[in-house]
Amino acid sequence: MGKAALFLILGFVPVLAFAQSPKADLACKATGTDYVFDCTIRLSRGGKPLEGAQVTVGADMPSMPMAHNLKPVKAQAGQAPGEYRAKLDLEMLGVWAVKLRLAGPVRDQLILHYEFDSKGATPAKR
Amino acid sequence: MDDYAIGVLTNIGLVSFLALSAYLLLIAGEMSFGQQAFFGVGAYAGGILTAMYGWPLPLAALAAMALGALAQLLVGLPTLRLRGLYFAMATLAAAEMMRILFELVHFQRAIDGEAVGPDGTQGFRGIRWVFAHGVEPIEYLAIVYALLVLALAGFLLLERSRLGATLRGVGEDPELAAALGVDVNRCKLGVAAAAGALAALGGVLFAHHNTYIEPRNFDIMLGVHSLAYALIGGLGTALGPLLGVVLDIGALEGSRVFQGYRMIVFGGLVALLLVWRPRGLLDERTVRWVKQRFS
Repeated sequence: MGKAALFLILGFVPVLAFAQSPKADLACKATGTDYVFDCTIRLSRGGKPLEGAQVTVGADMPSMPMAHNLKPVKAQAGQAPGEYRAKLDLEMLGVWAVKLRLAGPVRDQLILHYEFDSKGATPAKR
Repeated sequence: MDDYAIGVLTNIGLVSFLALSAYLLLIAGEMSFGQQAFFGVGAYAGGILTAMYGWPLPLAALAAMALGALAQLLVGLPTLRLRGLYFAMATLAAAEMMRILFELVHFQRAIDGEAVGPDGTQGFRGIRWVFAHGVEPIEYLAIVYALLVLALAGFLLLERSRLGATLRGVGEDPELAAALGVDVNRCKLGVAAAAGALAALGGVLFAHHNTYIEPRNFDIMLGVHSLAYALIGGLGTALGPLLGVVLDIGALEGSRVFQGYRMIVFGGLVALLLVWRPRGLLDERTVRWVKQRFS
């Protein structure tokens, strides 16, 4: 809250150079239950797996970003380094902007566009 | 408070700027289906200034608000000559033109080896000012609500002022207002500029909350919802649109149990509400009754 109060003062510090940002890759499989997908997220930074991150996964439909959305779920660490797993329970099939909110060794938010169909998810063509 | 609650409350705050923007035009007698365009102008302008040129967010927000005001003024100059449904259709057309313009904008800079900036339909990623400055979600929520309270205070002052009474007069009977010496056109242009600035402020905050924007974020759905907030919440006071946002997002979040059918359930609830209260929950009569009761 202290930072919020000092926002107007601290906020006037220009920042352009960002630290190397993390990259993410998503693979999802349909579970057989309508619109429920098992997803594996692979995170890396500077070409190396990003381990120990706390990953919260949400999703928005791009045409109604603040209303049609997925209640965020916490991803669990997977077996391989930089791998995380989450179950997404979407409202419908189609293109979703999957939001990965990262905390821990790196604070960031990554947005990935995937098209979900009856089998799984593929990067959305736009 | 958990991340989900913070996220929902932040969304309510962000959409409230858009709802207040639509409400401002409604009290001046104009129904706009295009406020999402100025929300988009603010989002793109603010994102470009912070992510590509390293501007601080407060300055970028001020610049984006000025641009939002200018954009709505430019749209208002030809369209405010129209009335009722014609004005509504013109604002919808202008908003769609602006959305298509966002799809055509490819303007990027390499920052730390990454291309940053609007890339047409691929959107605009990397609006990371909030993360770069270590602003926590709860702190961002406080910033959004502090600005919203300021905007709301401005509305409440306006509603008690002579200017506020003039605006309602222009909205209810422009001919009578003109006969009483009010420059109706100038009044509406001023309202349009203020509404554009307010929508743009919401857009800047949305872009920095989301870190990513794309043209589809600013399509007709958002415009219809922004108008619905004012109509559901009521046109009697600026608290009406805010109540509309809370009910809208609250009803959407509360009806998750209906999963894919929740928009149908939500639409049905809105239709029933508008049949029961055509000028919204906090309509002019209710507000007058409350004022008489407590004054």
